[in-house]
Amino acid sequence: MSRGSLVRGGLFVLVLATLPSFGLQHWFLNLMVFVLMFATMSSAWNLVGGFAGYPSLGHAAFFGIGAYSMALIFHGHVLSNGYEPFLLLPLIGLISAAVGFPIALIAMRTRADVFAIVTITFLFMVQTLAFNLRGWTGGSQGLSLPVAPFPAVSFEEPFYYTLVLLLCFTLLVTFGALRSKVGLSLVAVRADEDKARGIGVRVTGVKVLAFCVSVGITAMVGGVWAYYETFIYPQFAIDPLITIAVVLMTFLGGRATLWGPVLGAFVLEAGQQTLAYRLGGSQFYLIAYALVFLVIMLLLPRGVLPTLGDRLRQRRRARSVDSTSGGVTPMAAGAAEPPVALRRGASA
Amino acid sequence: MTGCNRLRFQAPALAVAAVMCLAVSACSSSPGKATGATNSKKPLVIGASVSLTGDFADPGKAVKAGYELWAAGVNAKGGILGRKVRLKIVDDTSSPTQVVSNYQNLINQDKVDLVFGPFSSLLTVPASQVAKRYGYAFLEPAGGGPKVFAQKLDNLFFVQPAPVVKSGDVFAAWVLSLPAADRPKTAAYAELDDPFSGPIAESIRNRFEAAGIRTVYKQVYPAETQDFSPIMAKVASAKPDVLVSGTQSEDAYAQVKSLVQLKFSPKFMFMSNGANSPLEFPSKVGAANTTGITSAGDWFPGSTAKGSAEFTAAFVKAHGGSAQTIDNSSAEAYACGQLLEEIAAKTGKLDNATAISALHHGTWPTLLGDLKWDSIGQPQGEFHLVQWQHNSLAPVYPASIAKAAPLYPKPNWGG
Amino acid sequence: MHALVQGVILGVLTGGVYALMASGQTLIFGIMKVVNLAQGAMVVMSAYLSYQLFVSFGVDPFLAIPVTTVVMFGVGVGVQLVFLRPLRRDDKSELSLLVTFAVALLIEGLLSITFKTTYRSINTSYANSSWTVGGYQITVVRVYAFALSLVSLGLLFLLLNRTRFGRAVRATVQNPDSARLLGVESEKVAALGFGLGAATAAAAGSVYGLLYPFYSGSHYDLISRLLSIVVLGGLGSVGGAVVAAVIVSTSSAVVASTVSPAWSEMTFFVILLLVLLVRPQGLFGKVGRGAL
Repeated sequence: MSRGSLVRGGLFVLVLATLPSFGLQHWFLNLMVFVLMFATMSSAWNLVGGFAGYPSLGHAAFFGIGAYSMALIFHGHVLSNGYEPFLLLPLIGLISAAVGFPIALIAMRTRADVFAIVTITFLFMVQTLAFNLRGWTGGSQGLSLPVAPFPAVSFEEPFYYTLVLLLCFTLLVTFGALRSKVGLSLVAVRADEDKARGIGVRVTGVKVLAFCVSVGITAMVGGVWAYYETFIYPQFAIDPLITIAVVLMTFLGGRATLWGPVLGAFVLEAGQQTLAYRLGGSQFYLIAYALVFLVIMLLLPRGVLPTLGDRLRQRRRARSVDSTSGGVTPMAAGAAEPPVALRRGASA
Repeated sequence: MTGCNRLRFQAPALAVAAVMCLAVSACSSSPGKATGATNSKKPLVIGASVSLTGDFADPGKAVKAGYELWAAGVNAKGGILGRKVRLKIVDDTSSPTQVVSNYQNLINQDKVDLVFGPFSSLLTVPASQVAKRYGYAFLEPAGGGPKVFAQKLDNLFFVQPAPVVKSGDVFAAWVLSLPAADRPKTAAYAELDDPFSGPIAESIRNRFEAAGIRTVYKQVYPAETQDFSPIMAKVASAKPDVLVSGTQSEDAYAQVKSLVQLKFSPKFMFMSNGANSPLEFPSKVGAANTTGITSAGDWFPGSTAKGSAEFTAAFVKAHGGSAQTIDNSSAEAYACGQLLEEIAAKTGKLDNATAISALHHGTWPTLLGDLKWDSIGQPQGEFHLVQWQHNSLAPVYPASIAKAAPLYPKPNWGG
Repeated sequence: MHALVQGVILGVLTGGVYALMASGQTLIFGIMKVVNLAQGAMVVMSAYLSYQLFVSFGVDPFLAIPVTTVVMFGVGVGVQLVFLRPLRRDDKSELSLLVTFAVALLIEGLLSITFKTTYRSINTSYANSSWTVGGYQITVVRVYAFALSLVSLGLLFLLLNRTRFGRAVRATVQNPDSARLLGVESEKVAALGFGLGAATAAAAGSVYGLLYPFYSGSHYDLISRLLSIVVLGGLGSVGGAVVAAVIVSTSSAVVASTVSPAWSEMTFFVILLLVLLVRPQGLFGKVGRGAL
């Protein structure tokens, strides 16, 4: 089973990695760059919002912190080969995780609803700081980064591959967490934090760790974004809509699943960019977006993958009742999705 | 825990399928429209991304209206060099991410012949980088902030008379041209913190301070400021002779309303934007309160610059209203089109390389007046000073274009 | 000193309006454990309603309030029935955040199509007038707005304390399960409660349109303030929301007039974080209730 899922994951990565060699158009790689950004951020958000059940609305603040760190480091510099910003990404991730640490300590004293509000408040604070600390950030004038010196023919590729690496890293972290004690603890926190504490789960440590890793990854994506855009300013480097998009993608694909956020990002980001481009003149874009949002929440509140999984399981169960070889599949199905199963058990 | 989740199989498969679908569409749509522009029967396709939703939606729509009016007009005359103009205008939702994707798509997917710029400096910077990468000329009517020119791009041309920062300098020039006894002695500055408003007031302040006009109050305020009473109360208590407001739109209205409520009327008043909106401004602050307020403009109703009458007639025909209700952004967008016509007329061809090299030389008449650029796309002209008199905006300075004498000191509110 | 006093006057008067908006939001939370991210959008929507009534029929925004409250009450009940009731109970609090946010986007989208995205303001004859009292400028609109907020909050108080419906609401807030056992129809209370929350947004919205220029996207600024206020006051506590609204708007007006308007937004975020550090349940919130 483990080998199987690794093989499938590897296949996915292989497709991503070889994609640019098919001589695809620039516009397509450009779209993929943004899709991968959101896939990575959704997967990172999933660690906190999906597995631990703490719906952070403040992740965009860390996206912005990453973007501004990148801009501050390279502002006014001339790049020799253009890869320096990518090499510094781990540092940016660490800085942001360090910023996230005290925030997590304060914010995670509260529970879901209030946590969401506290984190979005933090987001607005960071945005205000970006506006007001003009000496550093340039305020509303924005901050430029050096333009990447890559040739126009393959301009997008370095960004693309960096993001593929980041996405793989995030998926591996999630995969590792899923099958480790940390993952189990997170699920327990989500199900019932007090009980989890009662049975000896180191609740605070686990939550804070998940938050720091999650925001560190988000910040790295922010750094790549800033470099790709070459110019950042507070409204869009620290934009609540980034968080909302990430949350929506995770919910669409399926919270607390490995592949759900990735699927959500592929569908929504590609869909949204194309919609805005194609629907051009009409203003129904916002309404369409809101309706998609509502339909997902009402019809697929647990996301596409878990819902599909349930369907599949039911069909298998029905089949296994018919056949005599039952017994194995129901067990597999029962264990198929621990988060939901646990959650149901706890809240019943 | 468990690993035998059936979903693990499905999910990557779905994701791979999604990638494949996109990739197939990427390949299949590539050869389609990509034939050379040499065929003179082919329409001339011009792409532009403007904000139709989001923060810049309204000025974005005004820009779109300008592009469309020009295209309709030029097509009625038979197009450019025998080619009909076809516009492809898409929405960037006021987002820098989308604007990058849009120009990528316009240039590499739809393979448009030429592009025009978006609205706002904030979107112009990332967009112009994409255009630069693929060698497109970037005529843009609405991105004139310092960061745009700091890129030092040779393919970019800001289609307004002067960089935004300098648009208020005409007010400073007028004030300093007055007899010494009439000049203000003290000044207050209220500046919106954004790239196109605050810097205008700062530029005026530099010139005023150099000329000995004392600064008694200065305040920069954030975009989300709703209450101007505290700021205007401080302005009122500082009693400056001149108030220079680096404003955008609604903040200009709110400043005037607060000043009226505080019953303080300075002798001179300049607002960088908002006050030059012929329809909105009097309706928001009350027509009687507008008299004497000055602002900067490039195009104005009744201008005799090249194509202005034609533009005005077309606009009123298409959108109703009167010349007084036309937004300057539409005129600026229209001017981008005029430039293309002139390049074609002058050189006999129209492609990106020709446009870039042509615009770097000589002077180009448009409905905004004569434009010319330096090597990094900064226009080298000057804005006009406009003033509210008898419930309408009139150009008052410099004398060469003035339609009325400047009125000073500004009369009290309501009179 | 002058600036300080002027700031306090302004802050207290504005605080009344925010108290009205926030009381509806905290009420909705109290009854349903739903953080309504669409409250700001509902305020803006009702500001547009008042604007339209004023422009088309010359109805004064204050007189339009009965109309807007009734309309918005209906909208509120509708939103609850269509979008919130179907949510499953076990993850309602997370999902409702997203659902109400989507409702906010939907309202914003509809408003931007109907009314475009230019800023609107309701310019009544008294919009620019002010009184001078002891050297301080007091704008007439703000005084009216403050008075209206007091009256509305008073009515809300009477409704909650003197009527059968009010008793059912309070019982639900205190303990939904016992309330249900005692015969309170919780689903009905939830729908009516959401409607009531929207109705307070409507009353506040008419006034909001008088005080500030607004457009369809104004709800983002509003909601961040409202969230700070309700969390500061303690989610579910109407009294707490009123106190917090006054604290928040006074402190930000004072900072705006004494330090710089650039830092005034920051003020209440800082206050909020500090309060949460000491009292995670907010000023008047109860420990161990609902999600807290």
